Amino acid sequence: MHSSNSVGGNEEIKDLLVAIAYNNDQSAFRSLFIQLHGKLKQFSFSIVRSEEEAEDIVSELFVLIVQRKEQLCQLESPLYYFYTTVRNMSLNLLKKQKRRAGLSMDQWQVQLNSIYFRPDLLMITEEMVLKIKMAVNSLPNRCRLIFKLIKEDGLKYKEVAELLDISIKTVEAQMAIAMRRMAQSMQVDLQSKPILEKRVKK
Amino acid sequence: MYLSVVIEVESTITMSQERFWVLIAKKIAKEANEQELIELNQYIQDHPEWQFAIQNLENIWEIPLPNNKAEAEDAFMLHLNKIAGNNTNDFLEEQNTPKNSIRIIPKWVYYAAASLVIVVGFTYSLFKPSFSPALVKVQLESNEVSTRLGSKTQVKLPDGSIVWLNGGSKLVYQKEYGKILREVSLIGEGYFDVVKNKEVPFIINTKSIKIKVLGTIFNVKAYPEDKQTETSLIKGKIEVTIKNRPDNKIILSPNEKLIVENELIEAQNKRKSIELIPAVSINKLKFISPDSSVAENQWVENKLVFRDQTFEELALMMERWYNIKLEIQSTSLKSTRMNGNFEKETIDQAIEALKLIIPFKTYQKGNTIIIYQ
Repeated sequence: MHSSNSVGGNEEIKDLLVAIAYNNDQSAFRSLFIQLHGKLKQFSFSIVRSEEEAEDIVSELFVLIVQRKEQLCQLESPLYYFYTTVRNMSLNLLKKQKRRAGLSMDQWQVQLNSIYFRPDLLMITEEMVLKIKMAVNSLPNRCRLIFKLIKEDGLKYKEVAELLDISIKTVEAQMAIAMRRMAQSMQVDLQSKPILEKRVKK
Repeated sequence: MYLSVVIEVESTITMSQERFWVLIAKKIAKEANEQELIELNQYIQDHPEWQFAIQNLENIWEIPLPNNKAEAEDAFMLHLNKIAGNNTNDFLEEQNTPKNSIRIIPKWVYYAAASLVIVVGFTYSLFKPSFSPALVKVQLESNEVSTRLGSKTQVKLPDGSIVWLNGGSKLVYQKEYGKILREVSLIGEGYFDVVKNKEVPFIINTKSIKIKVLGTIFNVKAYPEDKQTETSLIKGKIEVTIKNRPDNKIILSPNEKLIVENELIEAQNKRKSIELIPAVSINKLKFISPDSSVAENQWVENKLVFRDQTFEELALMMERWYNIKLEIQSTSLKSTRMNGNFEKETIDQAIEALKLIIPFKTYQKGNTIIIYQ
């Protein structure tokens, strides 16, 4: 099955980087920018909370990409490199401006873009779609951030752990919470069946 | 009353259930190894009640990201412009410029460029060597900065004065800005920090008022669709003239807010009547406890603060904040007054939080949220 998450994935990025580095291929550079711009800008925005500053940071990254294009081709995961660089640039900016808000990952606010509503694609009712949306929106910041980086940005568990300086176990646990909350929000129609999760009674 | 979204505490999961969801997540994210998949299949067989939800989760995982190609293309053009400003015609040539040389162009040129790109919307040919420098030159003469709904920007004027522009606003200033007169015109909302210069007064024109200042900090809210134009003074002194009454000058002192009723002024214009309609009022600024900061300029800090505002007024603020359309169908809802802050809430969280104070229902139609009782 073709996974939609492979768009903008590492294999495609590496092909583009090779075309940029060795064929001076401008259209490859343009494709790379267009594929990554939105995601990287959102990631930076979650930290710096300013559209313009996030835009500048993405732009700076692409200047860097041109400067280091040959080395980047060697990387196993250029995508991970891009996210780390954007994280560092964003945090440096906050430090330079002496802004405290945003230095901690728990303040990084992201919105999920792909949990938009296509009941035609999902075999579920509009009402259930709203419940899922509510479930996603009420996830703790950290949990939503991790979920987005993996689902929408295409990073691996290990890469997210390194990017956010947390353990893989934490990534696993947060992903589990996101999935469980979403699954539970779809559970309404099956009330008669036993529910796996048992609440501890006090 | 402050609004916030309560987050449920995770404390009731036993180990095996935890393991179940860890494995589900790993499977869907394609992180699970063979052994884990076998382990998971056993769980699922024991718990058929989750099959429907798991199938849906897998489907949701495959939903592609919405395509924001147009925005990315605009951004790509701006990126090329910035690089062009660093004296590089062929953008793929080796650049020996330092990493942060992007900042060489003053920010306002970039913002002017941004607005020009949006306004002109020309088709471009990317790899003509002359393209980028020419564009930058044109932008130097065009001094118009505009923001889209849902976004904000900061403009630094040539004299060092700073203007924060709220969403859906436009600031225009002349090429000669700063020489004899510092004059700008504003549509929408701006927070001004004006550099002191007694020789050259700073003048802001809006549709209904003209503000003259020497050096001070204040907020002007002049959206054409709003019923009122508001001028809130934080520091210093400003002189406001109402366009249809040029002889009456109003001097504002710090922490005062001047409210001008736009519609009444227009009506007076039409009828040329001398009736005394209270079209103008001076109020005190609204302070937010406990830190006694002022409500009127909180948007600069990325906060949407509303104090004693009708739902109708709040809806307009939220439309600009979140870039969506809100349609309130009930007149009694429209006139309900409320207080609150939104800071990190998404639009859905904000709507849910409002529902806690006043019960209403919503449904979404495209980019519009319909609110009814």
